Amino acid sequence: MTARDPMPGTSQESPLLEVDGLSVEFQTRDGVARVLESISFSLARGQTLGVVGESGCGKSMTALALMRLIPQPPGRIVAGQMRFEGIDLLGLSDAAMREVRGNRVSMIFQEPMTSLNPVFNVGEQIAEAVRLHQRLDRRAARERAIEMLEAVGIPAARKRVDDYPHQFSGGMRQRVMIAMALACNPSVLIADEPTTALDVTVQAQIFDLISDLRSRTGTAVILITHDMGAIAEMADRVAVMYAGRIVEEGSTADVLANPLHPYTRGLIACAPGRRTAAHGEPLEEISGTVPSLLERGAGCAFADRCREVMPKCRIGLPAETRLAQGKRRVLCWLHADASVPGAGGAS
Amino acid sequence: MFRRNKAAMLGLILLGLVILTMLLGPSLYPVPAFDISGKPFTGPFEVASLPLGSDYLGRDILAGMVVGGRATLAVGLAAAAITVSIGLTVGALAGYFGGWVDELLSRIAEIFQVMPSLLFAMVLMTLFDPSLTTAIIAIGMVTWTSTARLARAEFMRLRKLDYVNAARAMGAGPVRLMVREILPNAAPPLIVSATLIIGVAILFEAGLSYLGLSDPNVMSWGLMIGSNRKYVLDAWWAVTFPGLAIFLTVLAVSLVGDGLNDALNPRLHQR
Repeated sequence: MTARDPMPGTSQESPLLEVDGLSVEFQTRDGVARVLESISFSLARGQTLGVVGESGCGKSMTALALMRLIPQPPGRIVAGQMRFEGIDLLGLSDAAMREVRGNRVSMIFQEPMTSLNPVFNVGEQIAEAVRLHQRLDRRAARERAIEMLEAVGIPAARKRVDDYPHQFSGGMRQRVMIAMALACNPSVLIADEPTTALDVTVQAQIFDLISDLRSRTGTAVILITHDMGAIAEMADRVAVMYAGRIVEEGSTADVLANPLHPYTRGLIACAPGRRTAAHGEPLEEISGTVPSLLERGAGCAFADRCREVMPKCRIGLPAETRLAQGKRRVLCWLHADASVPGAGGAS
Repeated sequence: MFRRNKAAMLGLILLGLVILTMLLGPSLYPVPAFDISGKPFTGPFEVASLPLGSDYLGRDILAGMVVGGRATLAVGLAAAAITVSIGLTVGALAGYFGGWVDELLSRIAEIFQVMPSLLFAMVLMTLFDPSLTTAIIAIGMVTWTSTARLARAEFMRLRKLDYVNAARAMGAGPVRLMVREILPNAAPPLIVSATLIIGVAILFEAGLSYLGLSDPNVMSWGLMIGSNRKYVLDAWWAVTFPGLAIFLTVLAVSLVGDGLNDALNPRLHQR
């Protein structure tokens, strides 16, 4: 939507990655489940977009859809567009898509402990990833692997390049995964809860590493997490997902300072802050759980858990409301009259 | 780990002896196995020129033993190679792709599985000229399904692992994922099963020869047993020695296979 009518004030060049109306369905035994519904966002070069939400909101599914790695069948991208550097990703052949994966768009996963092949040493694995996309001989690829291990802060990289995954700790393995993901200088790094499986102290190190590498290489980052603290620290923009939809999106500062959607407010309230820690107050919670995919009716999927629920919430969803010259959007009846109804993206 | 396993070491030594005999035996004991070298039904250790005696035609048993191992072991190895190539290809494709590919290949495998294997091999042998090649193909045709099932299960399990998904996200295609990411991790059980299949194939070859379905122009242990089976009561040595050779060879191969299993199974040698 943003591309068709560029906003004044946004950067002149077209965004690096643009997703428009992306919908994904899964065929299940009990029927067809919409796991993603009209996902739209854009990512500028070098920017970090945070994607937050509870488990089951479609965060990881969005990442997989971007890489075209949704298991198919049962999954299927049923609508939408994904444009990356001007290329229509959905129109690419499988072979052309493989050229994008790991090369132009890379991904790191939640589980560093199991994401490396146990039978090859880490150097071979990084070198292999490089050689998938670049014509390098073995020695040059190995040098590149050492260089990348140094870049991600593995001490004595030249020695450790021949070590096997089991000789590394979880945090170190995640560094190796990051080294592998960035070895081909991708323009986008998708980090799917990269620190969930790690110790708290190591989590901070990995986030620092990602921001450091981002500023050095200019790689844009899509950071998927449920940690509002990490979003505050890392992300330029944030998209809040709930039940397969983006319910609120805006610059991180705006969203955190003035959350519009009740779900966003809930998420922020849930994050342990200075106030709760100092006073020993119990943490906030959003009662209930994300409704099952097949139970979602026409209305807002958050209605049953929302403190500000209105009768119309259960009947249907409003059109997306755009604020701040289109830099901010929210999908909630509370804000539905804040812009001209039916005006689409124009402000 | 392997070296500490006494049974496996014994198997390896036995196998080494068999292979050594096969390679050097005919030059150290250059008696033609099909020639009549003395009186028929000479018992072992009776005549110096016939150390293990002679059979009903007067053929030297030791000469047959020395040469016969070649055909037997060659059939075993070649049949195992065929079994692994067919079984691994079919199993890998079925396990990796799943869906209709799996359905189709599994049904085909089942067609082979439901046939009594010895009978099927016999039919194949009688349909075509009995030769070593026919024997190898016949044995390969009846044993590949077990390898296919094993490979299918391994590929099915491994294709869902994180590092395979990670490699896919790095841009690896299906062939690379199968060969480079999955196969090395699926290899240990497949190596073990291939070893055991060598033993099975040797037994099959012996069985087919015993039934008179092997190449009559190539001396093998099975052929010796087969041609002398009518005279078991008169000349026990003519079937006992080749039988013992088959027994020891298959035992050696199985012991090595078990040893490999222990050595390659990661769960057994974690510190």
